[in-house]
Amino acid sequence: MRQRLGCSGVTSKIDLEARGKALDIVKYSMRELLEQIERGEKPTLIMPKRTLSNTIYDLKHKMLLLGPELQKRSFTDVNEAKKFMQTLLMASIIYEALRNNEYPTIRDLYYRGKHSIVYRSIDGKRVSENTWDEQRESDSVIRDLEVLLSVLREDLLILSKEKGKVVGNLVIRSGDDTIDLSKMGHGAYSIEPTPDLIEFIDVDAEYILVVEKDAVFQQLHRYGFWRKYKAILVTSAGQPDRATRRFVRRLSDELKLPVYILADSDPYGFYIYSVFKAGSITLSYESERLATPSAKFIGVMMTDIFGDSVFKKIIKEREARKTLEEVATGIEDLKPKTPYLSESERSNFIIKAKTKDLERAVELIGYKVADVCMEDKDAKSKIKRKEGLTGYPWFATPHWVRELCIFFNTLSKLEIEAMASKGLKFLADKYIPEKISSGDWID
Amino acid sequence: MSQYDEVYRAVSPAEFFYKYREIAGFANPVRAVYQTVRELVENALDATDVHGIPPDVKVTIKKADETQEFYQITVEDNGIGIPPNIVPNAFGKVLFSSKYVMRQSRGMYGLGVKMVVLYAQMTTGRPVEVITSKPNFKRIYYFKLRIDVNKNEPVILEAGSWRKTRDWHGTIVSVTIEGDWNRAKSRVLEYINRTATILPYANIALLTPENEIIYYPRVVNTMPRPPVETKPHPQGLDLEFLSSLVKNTGFETLEKLLINSFQSIGEATARQIIQKAGLDPAKKPESLTNEELLALVNAIKSYDKYRPPSPKSLSPLGEEIITAGLKRAFEPEFVTAVSRRPSAYSGHPFIVEVGLAYGGKTPIGEDKPVVLRYANKIPLLYDEATDMVVEVVKDEISWDNYMVSLPAPILVLVHVCSTKVPFKGVGKESIADIPELRREVKLGIMEAARGLKQYLSKKIREEEAKKRAENIAKYIPEVARSLSIILADEDSFNAYRSEVVRKLTTVVAKRTGVSLDLIQGIVKSVEAEAGV
Repeated sequence: MRQRLGCSGVTSKIDLEARGKALDIVKYSMRELLEQIERGEKPTLIMPKRTLSNTIYDLKHKMLLLGPELQKRSFTDVNEAKKFMQTLLMASIIYEALRNNEYPTIRDLYYRGKHSIVYRSIDGKRVSENTWDEQRESDSVIRDLEVLLSVLREDLLILSKEKGKVVGNLVIRSGDDTIDLSKMGHGAYSIEPTPDLIEFIDVDAEYILVVEKDAVFQQLHRYGFWRKYKAILVTSAGQPDRATRRFVRRLSDELKLPVYILADSDPYGFYIYSVFKAGSITLSYESERLATPSAKFIGVMMTDIFGDSVFKKIIKEREARKTLEEVATGIEDLKPKTPYLSESERSNFIIKAKTKDLERAVELIGYKVADVCMEDKDAKSKIKRKEGLTGYPWFATPHWVRELCIFFNTLSKLEIEAMASKGLKFLADKYIPEKISSGDWID
Repeated sequence: MSQYDEVYRAVSPAEFFYKYREIAGFANPVRAVYQTVRELVENALDATDVHGIPPDVKVTIKKADETQEFYQITVEDNGIGIPPNIVPNAFGKVLFSSKYVMRQSRGMYGLGVKMVVLYAQMTTGRPVEVITSKPNFKRIYYFKLRIDVNKNEPVILEAGSWRKTRDWHGTIVSVTIEGDWNRAKSRVLEYINRTATILPYANIALLTPENEIIYYPRVVNTMPRPPVETKPHPQGLDLEFLSSLVKNTGFETLEKLLINSFQSIGEATARQIIQKAGLDPAKKPESLTNEELLALVNAIKSYDKYRPPSPKSLSPLGEEIITAGLKRAFEPEFVTAVSRRPSAYSGHPFIVEVGLAYGGKTPIGEDKPVVLRYANKIPLLYDEATDMVVEVVKDEISWDNYMVSLPAPILVLVHVCSTKVPFKGVGKESIADIPELRREVKLGIMEAARGLKQYLSKKIREEEAKKRAENIAKYIPEVARSLSIILADEDSFNAYRSEVVRKLTTVVAKRTGVSLDLIQGIVKSVEAEAGV
């Protein structure tokens, strides 16, 4: 069914249904608020607390989730009144956009809601203040609305920039169109900002490979990797956006296919993997729908570059072994690893780690591992101020201890492009298939 | 007669004061105008409120000569009047006074009005005119008299009387003096103003030579309780007083003299004192030698079991009158008054009263609150720097602790009433530093300041509550609009929105404890600016 509506032009049926649902959710929540006012109660919004202290790592589901703490935002609490007003203002703008068949971005919403409230204060002064000044404020209110209404912004038809891409033996329906993702030529399908409106129609694939770097994605695509190995090839082009994460999660859930992540061999690459797998700290309320707990890191690992000899040497020493065992038990039971790179390749491809890399690595695994594995005194002094950090619980595994220990010891990092430089054939026909078939990944 | 001889002769008191008029405040033509007004007004007030009559006092100052700076000053009161046989001495003989009893009154030395008469005589040569009648008299009496300086005797120039045609009582005194009105004017106005400040129960009017009328109308009907005459307290005794007492006594024995002349001395106490002085209780008072008198004084003063002096002889203004007076004068935002309990120093009872005004038309105190000092209802206008009260206000009270951040519109009024106010010097313009008095002044001010602090902190709390309410109320229109966008139909949007505004206004008023009006005012101002 095609219908012409407002300025938005032709809207798909799926869209219309999504809008109807979103309008109801907003209306329901606001009606509750109105009832409070009518009963003479103080109008109060009750929502999960969106703070770091209320972010917990759920060991069972292996993802970052919002904790049980609730936040009460009362209009009559002078410290909350402005936020309350902003929350309702944002709800009304989103509601209007939904009703008018529009697709605002978060920047649009910022501009639509930004205006001055002018009043005469009790001491007679004319005072003017803005509903909000920076987009940071309106973005924060959008996040509040997401937890208040327990919907994602995509469900409210709020768009963000398309970043992720996908190709592979997969047929989908997007809007009113059916798209075969194996017939995209040299291009790829841009993952739409509302991935929940995509319908999976047909699939012929054995796994999903998510590549951090767009350039590597393109090389593998042109090489015909996905056709040859029956893969669905996805790239997040750097830090994954919400749509890419949700799309990967749906592929994993609904197609029951394993997900492998290929990222740079550096703390940033490791972190991108963990965002796919466990969620991010700032957006922990979305993890339940965005995280893919079964995602596996296939590379590039430090052990792919250096093997495990460095690590073995370190844990020969009793004290070091003991300290690392405290971080994650089982480091001695790890399977031995031989490197994919030769001595000369290593010296050509690796890059020296920067202070920022070191700091990020300490954040991931904690200071103890750095302290034990790092030999360079200069580098050690640079991370001294991070002393006391314990790292994220989901990195406290023997595999990651070994990976980051080698990183601290060698102070080296490597980009995936380097693996491609060794030869696209090596990457596509040896490195990736071999690692998948031998189970050489970190879960 | 050689140059080493000197002529000694007795000088009459009138002659003495004539020569040393500076002591009594007539040092120059400016001071003379002020002092004349003051002496006459104080007598007028003593003739009224001391006797329970709400004062009506009218002061008229007129130019009395075309070429010379002569002014006729007339003060009329509605007081108890003066018996005609007393009038000549009351105005014409120095040291004749009714004021030797122990009770609080304004004048103390009984000199004032005679000095005025003397000064008038000396500068203009014109006599004093007195018209007077007591309440139960059928006639009104008229006198024109002067003082014979050498003899210290009144000279009656004219006298007469006529029947009352209306129910009038009181006294009108009129003198003509040479003075500098132009320069005295501001002082006189200040004196009248300050006097009126603590007498809200009085009608006080002043007509100036420029025909300006300054009028302070009565605003309360409450009167201070009149002082009751009491016998002196033994602790206030000195040798001089005792000497004159024993000479003029009608009592046969020393014991009876003590029992009947002092408060707090009964038979038992009298015997103990006399025994301690080593005297015979039956001794005739007139026969006491100087040594015996001294022994008696010491015995009386060293006895330490007297009851404190009776405060009945005092006439404090009371909190109500002070409050009313400050309100009339300054229309303050906050006012309080404290009447301390009676206390005593050296046998003299006293009461300290404190008034405190804040805000409104209260003058600004720069480094300390403005201080208005009064002694026995007389304003003290000069010598502020050396006054104990001012010292206390400035140095002993941390105004910060009472939430007063100076400069601020704050004023402290201190009234000391006593049968003997301890003045510094004969100028009677500043209060001396007596520890008992200082303590009472300090405690009185602190008590009043606590009242102010309570008021100010409540005001701050209320203002904070208002500010909080404001910071919520300003969002009501936006919240109501947002809710209505989501919940209302397009046609009923405005009515819906108004209804939500109304309900939210009620909820916010209820929750913040601030008036509905204030919330509505802010909401309306937002709507007006937004063009709703």
